[in-house]
Amino acid sequence: MIPEIDLWLDPRQPKANVWFSHAHSDHATGRPPKVWATSATLNLYRLRWPETITVVQHLIPMTFGIPFAWQGARLTAWPAGHIVGAAQLEIEKDGYRLVYTGDLKLKQPICGLSTTVIKCDRLIVESTFGLPIYHFLDHQAARTRILQFARDTLADGATPVFLGYPLGRGQEIAHVLATDGIPTSVHGAMHKFLPLYEQAGYTFPGVEAYSAQADRGRALVVTPGMRDYLEAKGDHRVAYVSGWAALANARTRSNAHELIPYSDHADFSELLDLVSATGASEIDIVHGYTEPFARILRERGFHAQAATTETARTEEAEA
Amino acid sequence: MSFDLLAEVCERVAATPSRNQKVRLLGDYLSQQTETNLVRATRFLCTQPLPTEVAFSLGHAALRAALMEATGWDLETVRLCYREVGDTGETVGLLLHNATRNLPLTLEQAEQEYSQVFAGRRTADRVARLAEIFLRYRPLSLKYFVKVITGNFRIGLQERLVEEAVAIATQYSPEEMREANHKVGRLPDVARAAYRRELHAVQARIFHPMEFMLAKPIEQAPEITSPQEWLVEDKYDGIRSQVHAGEGQVKIFSRGLEEITGAFPEICALFSQVPGTLALDGELLAYRDGKALNFTVLQQRLQRKSVSRDLQASIPVVFIAYDLLHLNGQSTAALTLEERRSLLIQSLPEGGLVSAQKSLSELASLDDEFAAARLRGNEGLLLKRRDSRYEPGKRGNTWLKVKKVFATLDVVITAAEQGHGRRATMLSDYTFGVRDGERFLNVGKAYSGLTDDEIRQLTRILRGLTHEKYGRVMLVRPEVVLEVAFDGIQKSPRHKSGFALRFPRILRWRTDKSVAAIDTLETVQALYAATLE
Repeated sequence: MIPEIDLWLDPRQPKANVWFSHAHSDHATGRPPKVWATSATLNLYRLRWPETITVVQHLIPMTFGIPFAWQGARLTAWPAGHIVGAAQLEIEKDGYRLVYTGDLKLKQPICGLSTTVIKCDRLIVESTFGLPIYHFLDHQAARTRILQFARDTLADGATPVFLGYPLGRGQEIAHVLATDGIPTSVHGAMHKFLPLYEQAGYTFPGVEAYSAQADRGRALVVTPGMRDYLEAKGDHRVAYVSGWAALANARTRSNAHELIPYSDHADFSELLDLVSATGASEIDIVHGYTEPFARILRERGFHAQAATTETARTEEAEA
Repeated sequence: MSFDLLAEVCERVAATPSRNQKVRLLGDYLSQQTETNLVRATRFLCTQPLPTEVAFSLGHAALRAALMEATGWDLETVRLCYREVGDTGETVGLLLHNATRNLPLTLEQAEQEYSQVFAGRRTADRVARLAEIFLRYRPLSLKYFVKVITGNFRIGLQERLVEEAVAIATQYSPEEMREANHKVGRLPDVARAAYRRELHAVQARIFHPMEFMLAKPIEQAPEITSPQEWLVEDKYDGIRSQVHAGEGQVKIFSRGLEEITGAFPEICALFSQVPGTLALDGELLAYRDGKALNFTVLQQRLQRKSVSRDLQASIPVVFIAYDLLHLNGQSTAALTLEERRSLLIQSLPEGGLVSAQKSLSELASLDDEFAAARLRGNEGLLLKRRDSRYEPGKRGNTWLKVKKVFATLDVVITAAEQGHGRRATMLSDYTFGVRDGERFLNVGKAYSGLTDDEIRQLTRILRGLTHEKYGRVMLVRPEVVLEVAFDGIQKSPRHKSGFALRFPRILRWRTDKSVAAIDTLETVQALYAATLE
């Protein structure tokens, strides 16, 4: 039933023909000779490369909703609410439809498009937060919490520090802070992606690259690795904006003062809603709580299975 | 007033690392309460669901069963969720997200709900009642409703903090509040007295345990300029306890203020006929032929609810009194030690034992006396000022204890847990083990002795060594070596090694020593064997 079209989905190992769902380094990795992805994803992916390196690559930009013919199948990219450029891939062959979600959520992201739910026969979906303890804030509530933490901390004469990964969360937080008039500095690793976020329509008024000399009175958005350095300077208060912040034990794990449970992944109820809405009769779970989430789906009458790394590989190979 | 607001305040308390801020938040909340609700809220914050003194317990299995009934989730899912979260109350709150009727919950209703749950005779009744409650109120309130039952808020909130918050709410000083609480031992009752402006009238009551006065530990004999003002006695290695007696009744309380009367019928018999009433501070000891037996032997008695004649004969126990807390309805705490001792000796029943005291000025050498105390099977020496008052719960300069380190061991950290208060964001509690061939077997847990800087460094290292997580506890690869000092070794089923160190404290972090070179189970066995001689 699976279309045999020699295409690999976010492979960890080097492969010939590859689909990148989005530009996070655990998905868009290696330098495969032929890559399909959205143009935003390709641009973000290329920015990670040292400029001096030349690799012979054929990068094929996909436009949302416009099918591309490949080995007798139709490949179509659809928006995935995750980071800018993130996409799902629909593969249709002989009337059978498979959707690979990549990482996504159903709630509207602060930056990036909202997920389009695609009807399909088979769904390959992630389950990073596939347990019923995970409930996340929507973008409005997250925005309010981010701004309140920054303003309260600045009012106390301290420096608000937000920890985030260099691509995605960092830009979202910087966008929220800057468009509300809070002077903001971002880590260099995040700063380099700002122009591409601006191209996608998000503004960052007055945002500067972080400099140790001029951080007083500013909100900082930095990578988790800078935490200890900043803490040593004193008078810093740290907010952890993440899906993991939904649990109180994140306080120890992140050493943060403020936990803001906002994620670019779906929480548990979003995952359930997504699975139902696609109408898929077969579901493969590829990341996170794969076994428990597959079991929960089976108990609700779905034909679901956890794809172990091995089966995920063969399925990718078959796809 | 509302339990919902209490839950919200607790969330803010959890979110701030500042101790002062925690106290202020709670103090503000408590200051808005009526007398009844101040007492209720204080009781909940001390994790006592009910006003009665009877300890009701509801196990995690029952709470989990109620949660499964309310949510429809299967055991496997609930277990997995609990493992990720690490706290039953929090798991309850998270799994009931969007699943309840979100009704408001007042403090009074919370108390009624608790008493209805505990009124259920069979566990099944309690579970059914809890499951109904779980579907009724706001998830955040249910989170704390359950934490009151499980007995740990995990928000960096010790009784000390609640005490200070009550002080703020009732406009007494923290010192006044502490002093009163030490006398009474039940903070909700103290809160009531404070609300009525009667804090200074609060008195220790007979048959209610009060906090023990403590001695400051010193490792060597101090330079004492006026030895004639000090008394010296042996420090026993038994169970510090209080005996309250009178009107044909006897109660015995442990250092943790738990009642342990049932385990010591011979002590009850001895004190059952005292005239008037009295409360004594002293030590329970396994004692034969004029010599104290090892603490481990005594422990076999402590664990019993009732004791057979055979066991009484094979492990005879005595109570050696060393202080008087209460006599014929009057507290004696404000008298000097000398005055209390003379009253103590007059009021002991026939056959009652009292600790031997000597004047420090009569002793040729404190070191010799220490060695003699050890030969008598005791732990060390206590030095007490003749004019010292009995100050419950205090560890001041008027009582000193000279303890020498029993031994030290080089051990390896096998698990780490986050601390409390200032150390809430650090891994500061360490479980450690000794080597047994290729394995590492735990012998104890310690959380004092290192500087904040060292703990911060260790936290970073231990996070990197974590291979498994159970809620707050991280199991780590055994690589970090510590040197620990301790006061003794006892048999313990808690650890796989079969032994537990008594009062372990960290001497230093041994970066110079490899895991291969740490102490072994054999060493621990040999040290234990030496204590039995």
